[in-house]
Amino acid sequence: MATISTGQGRSTFRGDGMVELLGPGGSLEMIEAVFRAGADSVYAGVLGWSRRSKKYEMSDEDLGKAVKIAHDHGGMLRAAINAMLKPGEEKMYIEKLDTLYSMEIDAVILNDIGLMRITRERHPDLKIVASIGASILNKDEAMLYREAGADMFVADCKMSLDEMVEIKKYTGLGVEVLIHANTDFTYLGRCWMSSYKSLKYETIDDKAYYIGSPNRGGVCFRPCLLGWKLCGEKVYASDFRLPNDMFLMLDEIPEMIDRGVDCLKIQGREYSVPLIHDLVRLYRNFIDDYIERGGVDMEAYRAELDAIAEKRDSERLRRTLELMRAARVERSEV
Amino acid sequence: MELTTNIPNLESMSECSIKPYDSIYLGMPYCWEYEGNLITGGDDLASAIELLHIMEKKAYVTTFAVPRNRDLKRVFRVIDVAAEISDGIEASNLGVIRYITKEYPDVKVIAGGLANIYTDSTAELLYSIGVSRIVPAYELSIEDIEKIKETGVEVEIVVHGKIPVGVGHECFLKKFSSEVGKDCPNICREEMFFRSEDLVLKPFGHATLSGKDICMYEHIEKLRFSDAFRIEAVTERIGYREKVGRIYRHLIENGFSRSEFEELKSISENGFANGYYFNRAGQIYIPG
Repeated sequence: MATISTGQGRSTFRGDGMVELLGPGGSLEMIEAVFRAGADSVYAGVLGWSRRSKKYEMSDEDLGKAVKIAHDHGGMLRAAINAMLKPGEEKMYIEKLDTLYSMEIDAVILNDIGLMRITRERHPDLKIVASIGASILNKDEAMLYREAGADMFVADCKMSLDEMVEIKKYTGLGVEVLIHANTDFTYLGRCWMSSYKSLKYETIDDKAYYIGSPNRGGVCFRPCLLGWKLCGEKVYASDFRLPNDMFLMLDEIPEMIDRGVDCLKIQGREYSVPLIHDLVRLYRNFIDDYIERGGVDMEAYRAELDAIAEKRDSERLRRTLELMRAARVERSEV
Repeated sequence: MELTTNIPNLESMSECSIKPYDSIYLGMPYCWEYEGNLITGGDDLASAIELLHIMEKKAYVTTFAVPRNRDLKRVFRVIDVAAEISDGIEASNLGVIRYITKEYPDVKVIAGGLANIYTDSTAELLYSIGVSRIVPAYELSIEDIEKIKETGVEVEIVVHGKIPVGVGHECFLKKFSSEVGKDCPNICREEMFFRSEDLVLKPFGHATLSGKDICMYEHIEKLRFSDAFRIEAVTERIGYREKVGRIYRHLIENGFSRSEFEELKSISENGFANGYYFNRAGQIYIPG
């Protein structure tokens, strides 16, 4: 079992006990921008192996460059390899893992607990983050992930800070919280609505791809955002959406820092580089202000965040419409 | 071949509806508040198990599918009882599975479909800590499930009924209490569906289920490698469980019957689906 580095009660990967700011790496350009904006670390999807479209993942060659950018900035790179494999692809996974390890990536983000055990046994010094897709719901579940090799877990968006702290205390796992993401009416790793509606299966070089299944590495077609009706003996309600809301945290962050959250994560590989740059810079300034001065001008930050949120909503709407169209024709690349 | 189904409460048990089955999962895993839910333990659970044993059926007890920290104590309390009097316990949460395998190493543990077991690596891990049987993730194809079976663990396959397509932290149906004119726990006794474009879903407690019935009647021979066939009927009426169970019992013992297949079709409100088993969208039906 690997040990976790603890500084001032934190299991942060930074090693100095300070909360880590983690940004998205949808492209090399974004990775550079995220570090320039002040992130401590970045995550990037391994091509064909993460919970996103191939458009926002990286080839091995680009991942090598991404590691260099991260390390040149004194930062870290996490490789997201959090799609569920097709049974029988374990050997392929080990080859991919060894390649990533030889690149000197700093951590892997995994979903599957079986692969965590394999990863821990093969590379005892490699940090492992249990992805939000693992949907860890309680402290005993977190403990099993810890025993399988996880160092840190990503808290589900519905989890309260009290629950996270309780899990951290019980297991010793680090806690990562999404401060920019979306939250659905299901637990993220426990939703199959997209692939139930539409799925395209293909194999490339013996690797399976499932377009429409986010759990298995494909896009989510976001069927929850269609117009729905509730029907029984009559139509009880119509034209409603199933909850799928974006959020940007701000007010909650000081308490999270005070109570020992180890990593604050900004999701958004599919957004534009300028938008992500501005978001990371805002959060960097906010965290530094709070830690250095013990207080922040909330109103000023909230106004700045609201302006960014407007741009984000516009980009997200365009993407949602693209995905909904794709779901109707089973397009293979979106 | 073991034929299994699930029953939420004592009220839903009848001799006729249980007769075609070898084993019964007791309890509604999607909602604590379901009236008489056997996952809350108590005298009803003991009575249900006793009744099944008199009928020479196996009694498995299921557990709440999505427990948070605050739920663990009451889940464990029921497990402490079930471990003594049942023939096995089903859990879909890995924390609950960890508890049972540590505290009761001799109890048969069945990992449910919501445990999200996609890989042979995870099947191996769970088998190594004492899980006897796995209901694989619903998205897996037949060839994927065969790989899981190669690890040595028993596999149980849903051959008929409504599978979950999502599970969350609350009951979304409750939000429509005023529109429907009923509140919890009566609102989920109504037959209601979410509809949009080509999709039909059935909201129920914390879960959202496929509106269509998964049906592998025409493909049953392809699944003979498994250890158990499950009829998912925990949200259905007694008559559904009885009819579907009888038809699959005949299928297992006597083979395909066109008339019984037609009868199955007549029971289903929204048609059949089985796409996941063939690497297709879940709501698609691939005929035999």
